[in-house]
Amino acid sequence: MSRTKNKLVSQSHTTTKAGTDSVLESQPLHRSRRDFLKTTGAAGVTILVAGSGLAAVREASAAARKGGTLVHLIQPEVPTLATYLSTSSPVSQGGTRAYSGLLEYDFDLNPQPSLAESWSVSEDGLTAQFKLRKGIKFHDGHPLTSADVKYTIMEVLKQVHPRGPNSFREVQEIETPDEQTVILRLEHPAPYMMTAFSSYESPIVPKHLFEGKDLRNLPYANAPVGSGPYKFVEWKRGQYIRYDRFDDYYKADMPAIDRLVQRSIADSATRTAVLERGEVHLTGFGGVPYSDAVALEKLPHLEVTTDGYEMFSTMVWLEFNTRKAPFDNQKVRQAVAYAMERQWIIDNVWFRFGKVATGPINSNIKHLYTSEVRNYEVADGLEKANQLLDEAGYKRNADGVRFEITHDLTPYGEEWQRFGEYVKQRLDRLGIKVTLRYEDVATWLRRIYTDYDFQVTSNWLHGFADPVIGVHRAYHSRSIRQGTVFVNGSGWSSPETDKLMDDAGVEPDPKRRAELYKEFQQLVVEASPIAWIHEIKFPTVYNNMFSDVITSPLGILGALDRVHLS
Amino acid sequence: MKEFWKRFSRNKGAVIGLLVLSLVVILAITAGFIFPGDPFQSVGKPFEPPFGEFLFGTDTLGRDVAAGIVHGARTSLLIGLIATVLAVGVATIIGGFAGYYGGWIDDILMRITEFFQTIPSFIFALVLVAILSAQIENIVFAIAAVTWPPITRLVRGEFMAMRNREFVQACVVLGMNDLLIIFREILPNTLSPIIVTGSLMVATAILIESALAFLGLGDPNVMSWGFMIGAGRTFLRTAWWLCAIPGIAILLTVLAINLVGEGLNDALNPRLRNQ
Amino acid sequence: MSLARKRVHYAGRRLAQAVPIVLGIVVMNFLLLQLAPGDAADVLAGEAGSATPEYMAMLRERFGLDQPVWLQLLIYVKNILSLDLGFSFRHNMPVLELIMERLWPTLLLMGATLLLSVGVGILLGLLAAARVNTWRDTFISVLAIISYATPLFWVGLMLIVVFSLKFDWLPATGMESVAMFYEGWDRVVDIARHLVLPAITLSLFYLALYTRLMRAAMLEQYGMDYVVTARAKGVTEQRITFKHVVRNAVLPVVTMAGIQVGSLLGGSVVVESVFGWPGLGLLAFQSLFARDFNLLLGIFFLSACLVILVNLLVDLLYTFLDPRIEMK
Repeated sequence: MSRTKNKLVSQSHTTTKAGTDSVLESQPLHRSRRDFLKTTGAAGVTILVAGSGLAAVREASAAARKGGTLVHLIQPEVPTLATYLSTSSPVSQGGTRAYSGLLEYDFDLNPQPSLAESWSVSEDGLTAQFKLRKGIKFHDGHPLTSADVKYTIMEVLKQVHPRGPNSFREVQEIETPDEQTVILRLEHPAPYMMTAFSSYESPIVPKHLFEGKDLRNLPYANAPVGSGPYKFVEWKRGQYIRYDRFDDYYKADMPAIDRLVQRSIADSATRTAVLERGEVHLTGFGGVPYSDAVALEKLPHLEVTTDGYEMFSTMVWLEFNTRKAPFDNQKVRQAVAYAMERQWIIDNVWFRFGKVATGPINSNIKHLYTSEVRNYEVADGLEKANQLLDEAGYKRNADGVRFEITHDLTPYGEEWQRFGEYVKQRLDRLGIKVTLRYEDVATWLRRIYTDYDFQVTSNWLHGFADPVIGVHRAYHSRSIRQGTVFVNGSGWSSPETDKLMDDAGVEPDPKRRAELYKEFQQLVVEASPIAWIHEIKFPTVYNNMFSDVITSPLGILGALDRVHLS
Repeated sequence: MKEFWKRFSRNKGAVIGLLVLSLVVILAITAGFIFPGDPFQSVGKPFEPPFGEFLFGTDTLGRDVAAGIVHGARTSLLIGLIATVLAVGVATIIGGFAGYYGGWIDDILMRITEFFQTIPSFIFALVLVAILSAQIENIVFAIAAVTWPPITRLVRGEFMAMRNREFVQACVVLGMNDLLIIFREILPNTLSPIIVTGSLMVATAILIESALAFLGLGDPNVMSWGFMIGAGRTFLRTAWWLCAIPGIAILLTVLAINLVGEGLNDALNPRLRNQ
Repeated sequence: MSLARKRVHYAGRRLAQAVPIVLGIVVMNFLLLQLAPGDAADVLAGEAGSATPEYMAMLRERFGLDQPVWLQLLIYVKNILSLDLGFSFRHNMPVLELIMERLWPTLLLMGATLLLSVGVGILLGLLAAARVNTWRDTFISVLAIISYATPLFWVGLMLIVVFSLKFDWLPATGMESVAMFYEGWDRVVDIARHLVLPAITLSLFYLALYTRLMRAAMLEQYGMDYVVTARAKGVTEQRITFKHVVRNAVLPVVTMAGIQVGSLLGGSVVVESVFGWPGLGLLAFQSLFARDFNLLLGIFFLSACLVILVNLLVDLLYTFLDPRIEMK
């Protein structure tokens, strides 16, 4: 029952999205489900919404062929499968299959039932109650109960998870009146918390195996035991990780495939080649270069979709070090922001896999996003920029140079180098002479977040499903924390924006919350501690011998439990 | 000198190699005239195929590949030359002392050389570049740091052989300063094998640089052939020329250097060939 | 002393001499890696995309990174002396176990490469030298010099495009067809098929080198007095070539091959990266950027041991090929 319900919601969602998403409409490249639905789905959706489509859906999935092995290509190589210790993309892609979460989410990020079949949040926002399904089992046959949930949140996520202490910071205690009921008692309202119960963000671990042991040194880190759709079988280091279907999975008839194999390949050209050859069937999150995704799209057996990243709201930007000249000057920062041609960058560096960004909150988070901010993507950007630099007092010298800077490149792939090369050429036209610096991840993180020894760097952060989790960290004064990565590296903050974020964080009323965030976005965009470039639309490539691959806003980090042979 | 040319030109391959190499050198020197300005500057539409508006086409950001090749020639040759001079310099000093003095000095110096030969060289170069950051001078240093040991062994061998020659013994008996003997008397007599090895080293250095750049450890501010391949390999099938043209440039240059090296060998060590 | 005992004795002494070298390599690299900015905690947190300061402090404490460098070094050396290579926090398993899993693919690739390059190199060199200055000699020499000048990764990419994508004869990557789970003989065949392209790519450069070396050595031997004498005595050309010349000419090739084991291991980084071969080179490359220094040092340690062992084997082989060489 829950399956059909989820399906209904997600499908009707994508249609509305296709209708409103003008950027994607202008891109014939991404033939995703959105486009499919645009042409064939309009009538179908009406039926679905009317309710009579339920039977049709059930029939379709019953007809789904059983069996098959899906080979999932993960990039970079998976270091461990301990998703309760790390949220990095390879760890999550490798390990999430083994676990379930209390909730799932539809493409509009609304909660959907998973381990919890129902839930409610009290009016004052201080109590959240979950009712678990009956008869859920871990892979070792042990039943999953409210005690496991309590243990997971209090002893694991709040203690050793990278984001858990933040997501569950208001959780004071958890009551478990019976095996199926979990009640979270909060100190303050935490509207963002309800976005953090997915199997990716908060995997429910088996208490009976974990309790009383050193959580950072468990055998289950590399041989997970959860209640997810796939049961871990073996891991041949450097070769593959093998999962088989978990027969006692709590969703009946799922998963339809027998086996899930995951592997990694270091070279990007080779990754594209094996997808083309059909040696692997699925990859995402930068698994193939953007340019190759465009080429692969044209092949008959491969599909490319940009769905399945709604939960990440990833954004690309230039981050200024506002502690030092010249970027301590708001006008200089605005000048650089004006000089960037965002659509050109998206088209030529990211091969159209992006959408112009306007400010700190991703347009994906529709209920909190506003476009009513200062617009830096204008036709006469260079003129505006030159004018601002003149006003700031940085005159051109005899050689036409105003000042020289070093531009750091975030070391996460080739597109960042191309982006840096673009920035260098572009700023050259403003009279800013740029030297590029490309270092490895550890060196770069040290430079940006510990030594603050930079002027402007390219950067990208996930905004996640709620600003409290993903956005505050880049702008709040409390997030200027030397030695902690991916927080406020620009060093910019203001008492007004701090207060707006603090208030919005505990505001249970959605309308009031949106108002607070609107003012926040306007102030931050004006100050421009960051020049937002675009919202990445990652391509996921899959072999169309499989269907229903991407069915959640977590995409390849979701459960992958609905996938079946076409 | 005339004798040298005669012997050198007897090797046809070497003459062809010299011609190709000269062409590359001339291109490198005149890069600024042929393609003025920054080779990183966009000049046209992205992915223009070669032999159209642009001789070698354009890359992903609309940059002229031909300009990159010409400017890259300068970088590759410079990296090759400087790394070689560094490596040969270190090797000559260490190998020279070890070979001349023998005994415990030889023991220690050779242990050190052996030590560096035991470390997997390319991984060591990667470590050095990663630690020092990918700037051109660090890349040169890393290449030199992993290529000196074999040359050292060669120099040592030559010096050991020379050590017992009469003219050296005569100098020793005359009470000549050791340094003078090493650098004034023996070194000139061992130069030819060192030059031959050194010429081949330039080729090796160019290959190492391209491999480093391929793995993403090139200097982003400097146009080099390795950089072009690294940036172009993503488009291996959609824009073959981005990888193929710099690849051919490397192949031809390294080939030319090797051929010239062989020619030098023939010309400088006639003993070997005439047998 | 019998020859066999002499050999054992010699091997023992050589191994004893190697201990300080290996230890030196580990210590030097340990100190060198300390110069690298950023640490494993930075990388782990960086990959996660976010982390709290407490989480990072906890990681550093756990990895022992909060200790002074000299103490870390002391502990490391102490452990390595008892052959304990430590723990990879990134992979959450002991370094030795991790390396052992990757060792045999590396040995397989290296073995195949050595066999191919030395074997074919000797053969081609022989063919070229036997008919020096004919079209066959020229052809082989040109081929050799071109392979010598081609960047490895380039060859690898081209081979994939041609043999894997165009003709679909051989698999492009990996060591096994992962979705098949072959057993027994099928598995051997499967691995062999996967081995073809990477082994050819990696051996091309060395093959060219050994061909040229073999050819030069053969020509040098032909000019030796003993050949002239043998000819004068009326020994057939064939007999001279195979009985004397080849035997002596093989020596420098084998020496060179021994010396190059270290560089082979390094060169395999590129090939492993192109072909997704699950070997040590790739693991070293990844551990460097992940600041997983226990693992990287472990690989350095092991590859140093490997190089020393192979060199020793080569020297012993030498004494079999040419009994006149003394073991000193």
